[in-house]
Amino acid sequence: MNKIINSIDLNAEIQWVIAIILSILVIATTTFWIWNKFKPSKLVNEMILRTRSWWGMCFIFLFAATVNPIITYIGLAFLSFFTLREVYTLLDLRDSDRTTLLLCYFSIPIQYYFAYQGWYTMFLIFIPVFMFIIIPFFLVMAGDTKDIIRSMCILPTSLMLGIFGISHLALLVSFPEMNNDNISGKALLLFLIFITEANDIMQYVFGKLFGKHKILPKVSPNKTWEGFIGGVLSTTAIGYFMGFLTPLSSIELILISFCIAIFGFMGDAIISAVKRDFGVKDMGNTIPGHGGFLDRIDSLSTTSSPFFHLIYFLVIV
Amino acid sequence: MKKLILILIYTIFWRNFLKIFIGLKYYNRNVLKKKKQFILIANHNSHMDTMAIMSSVPSRYIHRVHPIAAADFFGGSKFKEKLMRYMVNATLIPRKRAESKEDVDPIQVMSNLIEKGRSIIVYPEGSRGVPGVMTDFKKGIGYLINKHPHVDVVPVYLDGIHKTLPKGKNLILPYNCKIIFGDSIQFDSFEVDNIVKKSKDEFNKLIKNRS
Repeated sequence: MNKIINSIDLNAEIQWVIAIILSILVIATTTFWIWNKFKPSKLVNEMILRTRSWWGMCFIFLFAATVNPIITYIGLAFLSFFTLREVYTLLDLRDSDRTTLLLCYFSIPIQYYFAYQGWYTMFLIFIPVFMFIIIPFFLVMAGDTKDIIRSMCILPTSLMLGIFGISHLALLVSFPEMNNDNISGKALLLFLIFITEANDIMQYVFGKLFGKHKILPKVSPNKTWEGFIGGVLSTTAIGYFMGFLTPLSSIELILISFCIAIFGFMGDAIISAVKRDFGVKDMGNTIPGHGGFLDRIDSLSTTSSPFFHLIYFLVIV
Repeated sequence: MKKLILILIYTIFWRNFLKIFIGLKYYNRNVLKKKKQFILIANHNSHMDTMAIMSSVPSRYIHRVHPIAAADFFGGSKFKEKLMRYMVNATLIPRKRAESKEDVDPIQVMSNLIEKGRSIIVYPEGSRGVPGVMTDFKKGIGYLINKHPHVDVVPVYLDGIHKTLPKGKNLILPYNCKIIFGDSIQFDSFEVDNIVKKSKDEFNKLIKNRS
């Protein structure tokens, strides 16, 4: 037990973020509780459910992110696994794809092993180069060419969404050049997740409050120009004030937060379109009030790799 | 000893494996906790069905729960029979009803088990059939319940488990799936046809309220 406690080394910045997250949760919980007492409605009920899930997610995430790097990798690998499982449950794949599915699942530990070792090049090319060749070949080996193009496109793309993006979070923690005296991978990880989730929440809040003009009327009726612009502006502002977690200058901070907001919106929109094609409202029912795993991490899977490479470009190169 | 093996296999291994890797979710599993003896009736699409149901049985009396399996499929050799008896706790029955006196009557085998105080798992559809489609129940379940009207009959709906191990495949893959326990069926009358119809209706109710 002592060993575990000693291995938690939190610098002052990370402690600040944890305090901020917890106080936001406390404020949100009490606000919705009081709101529900005076004016109960369906919206408030959903909000209460969502906040309750946020408590759970925050504790799991903070535990995984701060206690031990090994737990961080295992936790993120399981996140990828659950996401893939959710996607494959909804996809109506052919019976002859089953062997290839096993290969897709096996690429999770391999990718996270590269992340754990911090092998930058191998990590980067494993899925976009190797798996994009190996998976179609495995499908060919199964011998069923009917509708093979569909599987050839879906399976590698699902790896990009479910593994490649999320595993960049693990690489942040292990990448040697991002963990020295003036820069900490853990703090960057917290920054990225905080900004991405804040962007989700802000776009939702602004959309609910002021939303009038639909931005993607055929894909998602909930996304509006007001929500988008309000979300991007407020996310950039939040990113600017959370800058103490990063070694970036003010202009770089604004640029990066702006990019996260835009990419987060893109991920959200992509998964919305996918869900529309599946004909479902949520990807699953694992997280009460939010839906499935991919409903929650849709924006994270598209923000993490651009964020990593922007940081790499701005700080290290 | 047998109980220990079964607890190791089902309560410890299969339950965790199914929960974490396969993505099985148990609904209303507590129904079984209060009951000493029951007849579980479930829809059948895959060999995983038995694993899922056995893993949800409380470990206290797991050794007294017997899945009923077809002798012509699972019997075959002595080794297979032993394996079924010790690893699955299964009781093998012939799929056809007794025609002469030397034959074993499947209903009689099941009803003997119940008289001994054991619980059984039955798939009233008779075979795995087409994936995801429920066929009509065979009449055997009606005869069995008719003989033992005092035993609780619990319907179990298995949703999507057939995807994890389809018929004719031997690779188990993760898919999110559900196992939903219903409340025990209250029969109005114990005529054979009525029992079959009523239990089928209870199943349809379970399917309707599954989400």
